Formats: sequence, structure tokens, C-alpha cells
Amino acid sequence: MASLGYFTLLATFLVAVYAATSSAVGARRGSRRLIESGIGAFYLITALMTLASTVIVHAFVTGDYTIKYVQRYSDSAQPLFYKLTSYWGGLDGSIMFWVTLLSVFGSIAVYVNRERHRELIPWVVTTISTVQLFFLFLMIVHNNPFDTFLTSAPTDGRGLNPLLQNYWMVIHPPSLYTGFVGMTIPFAFGIAALITGYLDDAWLRAVRRWTMFAWLFLTFGLTLGMIWAYEELGWGGYWGWDPVENAGLLPWFTATAFLHSVMVQERRSMLRVWNVTLVILTFFLTIFGTFMTRSGVVQSVHAFGEDKELAWMFTVFMAVILTVSFGLVIYRLPLLRARNELDSWASREAAFLVNNWILLFSAFFILFATMFPTLSEALTGERLTVGPPFFNRWMTPIGLILLFLTGVGPLLAWRKSSASNLLNQFAWPTTAAIVTTVVLWAIGLRVWTSGICFGLCGFVAGTITQEFWRGTLVRKNSTKSDVLTALIGLVARSRRRYGGYIVHVGVVLIFLGFAGEGYKQEEQVLLKAGQQVKVGRYTVRNDAIRISDDGRKQMVTSYMTVFDEGKEVGKLYPARWFFRKHESEPTTEVAIRRSISEDLYVVLAAYTVEDQTGSFQVVVNPLVNWIWLGFGVLALGTGIALLPERAFSYALARLPPEAPLPATAAPLVMLFLLLGSWAPLRAQEAVLPHEQLEQTVLLVPKTELEKDLHRSIICMCGTCGRKSLAECTCSEAARMREEIAGLASQGKSRDEIIQYHIDKYGSQEPLAAPIDRGFNRLAWLLPYALGAGGLVVAAFAAVRWSRHAAAAPKVADEASDSSAELEARLDDELSQLD
Amino acid sequence: MKYKAIKIGLTSVVLLLSFGGLLWSTLSEETQYYKHVDEVMTAPAQWEGKRLQMHGFAKSVMQKRGTLEYAFQVENNGHAVWAQFTGIAPDTFKNDSEVVLEGELKGEIFHAERIIAKCPSKYEPKAGAASVSGTY
Repeated sequence: MASLGYFTLLATFLVAVYAATSSAVGARRGSRRLIESGIGAFYLITALMTLASTVIVHAFVTGDYTIKYVQRYSDSAQPLFYKLTSYWGGLDGSIMFWVTLLSVFGSIAVYVNRERHRELIPWVVTTISTVQLFFLFLMIVHNNPFDTFLTSAPTDGRGLNPLLQNYWMVIHPPSLYTGFVGMTIPFAFGIAALITGYLDDAWLRAVRRWTMFAWLFLTFGLTLGMIWAYEELGWGGYWGWDPVENAGLLPWFTATAFLHSVMVQERRSMLRVWNVTLVILTFFLTIFGTFMTRSGVVQSVHAFGEDKELAWMFTVFMAVILTVSFGLVIYRLPLLRARNELDSWASREAAFLVNNWILLFSAFFILFATMFPTLSEALTGERLTVGPPFFNRWMTPIGLILLFLTGVGPLLAWRKSSASNLLNQFAWPTTAAIVTTVVLWAIGLRVWTSGICFGLCGFVAGTITQEFWRGTLVRKNSTKSDVLTALIGLVARSRRRYGGYIVHVGVVLIFLGFAGEGYKQEEQVLLKAGQQVKVGRYTVRNDAIRISDDGRKQMVTSYMTVFDEGKEVGKLYPARWFFRKHESEPTTEVAIRRSISEDLYVVLAAYTVEDQTGSFQVVVNPLVNWIWLGFGVLALGTGIALLPERAFSYALARLPPEAPLPATAAPLVMLFLLLGSWAPLRAQEAVLPHEQLEQTVLLVPKTELEKDLHRSIICMCGTCGRKSLAECTCSEAARMREEIAGLASQGKSRDEIIQYHIDKYGSQEPLAAPIDRGFNRLAWLLPYALGAGGLVVAAFAAVRWSRHAAAAPKVADEASDSSAELEARLDDELSQLD
Repeated sequence: MKYKAIKIGLTSVVLLLSFGGLLWSTLSEETQYYKHVDEVMTAPAQWEGKRLQMHGFAKSVMQKRGTLEYAFQVENNGHAVWAQFTGIAPDTFKNDSEVVLEGELKGEIFHAERIIAKCPSKYEPKAGAASVSGTY
């Protein structure tokens, strides 16, 4: 079985080489056949990786301990669940898991966009395949998960590290990887756009959703990591600024920045270089994070040991990424020029800009501080280290500024906010902030950073409430419905905007949790049986320490009674578990008494059974549960923002789901599975009776003619980024669809209706593509002619080059130069056509 | 246009300087030297009172009966120093275990505020256990 796995990897490598090359060559030559075969090969990678994954999972389940990886990370006593998840328990397997995920995501992205972004697809395939090639190469030469024992294979495995035998730890890596790997897709589209020169907003539209999807999983992964650290590691906190944690946070900052700045490009055609840069940086940081934690460059409690060879391979790969990507950016600078300038600092785009700077600064600060020991050793020879206090001192104000901007951004208008506008917008949120701060101060909660944080939370909550309230009122009046219907309709109409606000609510809740940290109380004590300790309002008494065994592990448990203000409120059982084969590494089983206002957190750190004594760490963690709750709200908001447009319009029109749900609904389905979140579904149901009336006519084309027209005419409202009528959801698009329906019902033909639009707007602007006729046909033909010409020249050059290569290399240079020049011209013309 | 360039330039310079300055001042306060025991103990006077992360192996680990007070030696390459610590020590803190101590050298004794168990084998468990020598 192991050799089947290894051969599958080898085969995948070859297929990936083919996919990358044939797509690139196909794109250069404009050969549809080559491109199609490249895409086919790309899908094949997914199939092969699925096969390889099946082989390793099979080996885990059947206990094939001849495979080193299986032997190291599982054993026969492990429950099936952990056997399955041991797949990504170690380095080799996690690399394979990475490639598998990437192939699946890549295939979905290519399949979904193969028609809409035809010109980008071959380069997307090439880019993703190249990334896959790197990881496949790693597996083949260095980290083969199918490596076997040559002689005397052990009969049982060493077992998965007990620390990792935890539900959160099982779903944490896949979630984090989903986030990391998902960031490759935007990168691939970005690179494709740079290569082809199709640098309008089309590629952004293709990747926006992916970025959001990957961002959600990245956030989820980070949150799971926090929960795991909190529940399993037992040091009383959830974030320790460990390099491994930081590695996940770095791309999170740049991705968050991208999700915001992309709006500025859509609205105002600004920040184009910036957005491409952010996409590249995000991808780079996912690779860099992997490098940092896997190569032993940075010392960490859970780094995976030093590995010089791996470090070198990653370094080379990262150098290639940076050179190629930024080389392309510089080459395309003329096409990336902004079409607008910043009008005023009191504008939303300025707020986004500041938010971006701070997010990027955070990423670089964390990178710098994480690498500081390594850097200082390299520069001065002295190893200097910085600890969590250093991170906290910097990240606390940065976090507070970001929270403040979260509240400010939505209050500012695009372009420029007038003074009266500012007053009108800021009055209520500011009042909310002041009231919150004063009330908390009066109650006696006086930790100043937490106080500011609470105040800002009030401010942001005020902003969001105001946005919802005003939007709802407007909608209520225009649709003449009740408040609730108007609210749901409002969210349904602009899902990205209001989904985004709900994400902000989640962020506020998370910050509440962070602020609670300021009121943390902690005691470390040694308690004999019957002794007790008081922490905050709780008193905890050690009743006894007992030992038990369940066959897989020995458990030392302390039986404790908890008193709240002197009244007995319950029992707690902190414990230490000694798993078989891992007796020297007992796990800490924290006992937590949860409540919405605070957690009582008790750790049994050490014990002696004979005199019934234990050392305990007793912590009162206020508000910590708000962090997890906040994540739930954040996921809900992202889910709303991710809701696919078409699925939504079908649902609203109550059409039978004859049209298959677009593949973009996949993340949605996953999300619902993940959260068991039924709320938005319910919201959709509730919205039906009212929405149906006004929209059945507007959104759903009745005839083939209308459907065709919706695709060929774009929305002319000027803010939707030239979306076709079939896609656009704004009110102007609705009006235009209605107009088309009217014209069609008058018996007008396709050409007549198109001519009507050309006359109405005075140009061919409302058309999604120039009319394929007469002079326009020339415009269609020109690029093809030029492409064919370029190919002929390239072929000619190639023939000459191969003939004279040995004799006169100088001639060859000239020939390739001229073809390069021609290609450059070709690219320019192609891009101007758009 | 020129005026604008100057404005942007000045803003960037001010921002860069203030951030750089802040970073520098906080760094000089918060950084700790990362040293092995033998590096420190060959010239102990030089390190007296400075914040250190000291790397070495724990020896003669003793715990005062009924308390969380520990006394132990840290040793590396033949140099050793007595250290003391109060609080909950990590599981892997035993005789012969590799540790990093965070704290200060005061006179003859290293006052540790935190013990970080160096555990390169965290994900690759090794057999073999050590234990506390005794109580005092």
C-alpha cells in the first residue's frame, strides 16, 4: 500500500508539471486544446491526491505500522476518530493534506470561473500547479509520508501526542489549513491578472468571495487554537504570542486589510497596486508562517524541530514567489495606476486606508517581534528575546485604534464628509461611548485600557445600531412594511454591507472578552485535603485526590468544592491524565466553571497522593466566553456576506431549485454545517411573502430572450462595477430589467432592444461586450490576429534559434528580444481592449 | 503638487520616527538576553541584575515541604548556579531536564520568575523519566 501511495505522489508530480506547462504554453499560444488539457490535468491532480489521502487514511485505520508516519502518529488503542485525524497530526501528513486541500479548492475555483474569467484560467492553473509542485517536491524528496521501515517494522504505533487528542485540536488544523490554502486562490487569480494584463476589477470579483471564505476559516482556526490553548494547555490564558500562533495571525491581518481595501477599488478605482500587493503578501505570509514553524528558524515551545534542508527549500520557494510576483507588479505598474485621488481625509476611503496601514503595521510588527531573537542573533551574535509583555504593550493600543476605526469607517461618506454630515453621524455613537465609559467608571471598574476598550465597544455598537436603524427606517418607508420585515429585507438586499456590520458586532464581542483580561485574578497555592483558597468571590476547597484508570490512561483527579460568596455552588474536578506510552507527558485537564460573566478556572499542577496534597492554579477569567460567542456572531455575519447572489434571488422568487446551486454556495453549506446556524435560513423564509410580490417580475427573466439580454447588458448605475443585469442586485438594475421586460413584451427583437440601449446612453457603454459586427469585429479580431502573429514570430524565432544556437547565439537574442517586444505590445493592446 | 509631496513626506518621516523611537524604547526595556549558564557564570558580575533568559539543565531539584518553593541548580558545560523559584513549575521540570529560566542573577543565586521547559520533543515523545530528588 505504501508504494501505491508513493507512486501516486510521483504521478501527481508529473501531472502537475504537465498542468502547469500546458496551461502556460496554451495561454501563450492561445491554444484552446492545450488549455483544456491543462485544466483536465488539473482536475486529475485532485483525483490523485484523493487517492493518496485514501491510502494513508486506510493505513491509519487498518494499522499499517510498516509506514513510519502511521507508526509515529497513531496506535491500535486509539479511537477511530483520532486514527482518522492522525492524518494531519505530523509534518509529512500535513503537507499532503495541504496539497489535497489546494487541489480541491483549485478545481472548484477553476470550474466555477472557467467561463466567466476564461482569459485568466490558464494562468490560474499554472500558478496553483506550481505551488502544488513545490509541496509535492517536498514530499517526494524530503518528507515522504509513505516512508516505510526497511527492516523489522514495529507491531504497534507510538500514538498521537495526548495533547492533540482533543476535539478542538482535531478540527483546528484543517480549519487553519483551509484558511491558509484558500489564500492561494486569490493569489493565483492576482498573478493571472498581472500576467494577462486584465487588471480591471474582474479578477477581484472572482476572488473576493474566496478571500472571505478563507478568511472565515482562518479566523475559525485561530479561535479554535485559542480554545484549545485555554482548555488543554492549562496556563489560564488563550493567547501567548508563541511563534506558531503568530504565524497564523500574520496572513489574517493582511487578508483583513484586503477585504476592506477591495471595497475602495470597487467603489473608487483606487488602491489597485495596494490590493494586488496585499493578495501577494497574504499568500507569501501563509508560506512564510509554515516555514517559520516547520523549519526551526524560530524557537518555540511547539516548533517541530530544526531542519536546515527544509529551511533552504522554503527559502528558495519564497524568494521565487517574491521575485516573480513583485516583478510582475512592477512590470504592470502603468496598468495599475489609480483612476481617482483621495478627495478628503474625512472620507470612508481614507478610513479604510488608515485601517489598512494599521493592519499591515500589525502584521509587520508581529513578524519583527517574532523574528527578533533570530534577527538579533544573526546581526549581533547575541540572542535577545522579547516576551508576551512586549507584544501586549504594542498590540493593545493597536487593537484599540482598530476597534475605533471599526466604528468610524461606516460613519464617513465616500469621497468627502461635510461637517453637518459628521455631526449627524457621530452624535449617537459618541454618546454611546461616553455613557458606557461613565457608567462603568461609576460602578468601579477602573482598569484604564479595559475602560477605553469598553468605551470603544460602546462606540462601535452605537455606529452599527445607527446604521441598521437608519437603513431599516428608509426601507420601511419605501416598501411600506413593518420594521422587522424592513430590517430583514435590508440585510437581504445588501448582504455584504450588513453582513460586514454583523462581523463588526462579533469583533466588538471579542474585544469585550479581551478587555475582561484586565480584571483577571489568579492564585497559585498548595492545598492539603480540606484546605481552601479564596479567589475573587469564589472559594475553592480541595476535598481529596484520587487515582483511577480506564485502560487507555491513568487519571489523577482532585475533587473540589466551589463556594460562591460562602454558598456551595458546585464541584470541580481538575485532573492530570497519563496516557499509555506517554507517561512522562501527563496532560492537564482543566476544570472550568463557565458563566457568561466569568470563568472559574482550576488547574491541578502537581500532587502527592499519599498526603492528599495538590498544587493548584486558580484563575478567575472575566468575560472570556464573549470571545467564543463573538466568533459565532462573526461567522454568522460572514455567512450572510457570502450568501451567493443567485441562490438568494431564486429563493426570493420561490422558484423550484431547478437551476443547480452555484458552486459558490459550497462555503455556505459548510458554514451552516459548521455552526448549525439556522438563523439566516429562517430569515429567508420570513422574508418571502413580502419580497416575492415585488421581485418575481424583476429578478427572473421570463423568456430566453430576456435571459440573454440580462447577460449582455450591464447595470448603468455607475457604482456596481459594470455587473451584468443578470448578476447585479441594485435598484437601478431592477429598473433596467423591468424596462427590458416591457420592451420584450412589446414584441421587440434582441437587436432592437440593444439598439434602444445604445441610443439611450449614447454609446455602446451599456453592452457587456462590443457588438460582434463590422468595425467592432475588427476589434475582436485584432488581438487574435496579433496573437497568431506573435506565435508565428515566436515559432520562427524558435526555429532559427534551434538552428543557429551553437553557431551564433547573438542572432537568437535579437530574435527573442523582438518577440518579447511584440508580446509586450500585444499585452498592451489586449488590455486596452477591455 | 510639490506642497502635497512635502506634506506626505513630512508625515511619513514623523510617523516613522515616532514608531521607530517607540519601538526602540520599548525594545530596550523589554528585551532579555538569552544566555547559557556557562556564558553567564564565567563573568557573573557582568550580568548581575540584568534580565536574562538562562538556558541549562536542572540538577538537585528540591521542593520545600508544603509550599511551592523550589531550590535547584542549573548547569551547562561544567558551570552551575543555584536558583530559586516560587510557583507552579511545568511538568517537565525535573532533574536533568532542559530548562530556560527567566529572571535575574542576584549575588550567588538566580531568582527565576518563570520556568520554561525546553521541550524539543514536544511532538515527538521520548521515553525516560526523571524525578524530584527529595524535599528539604
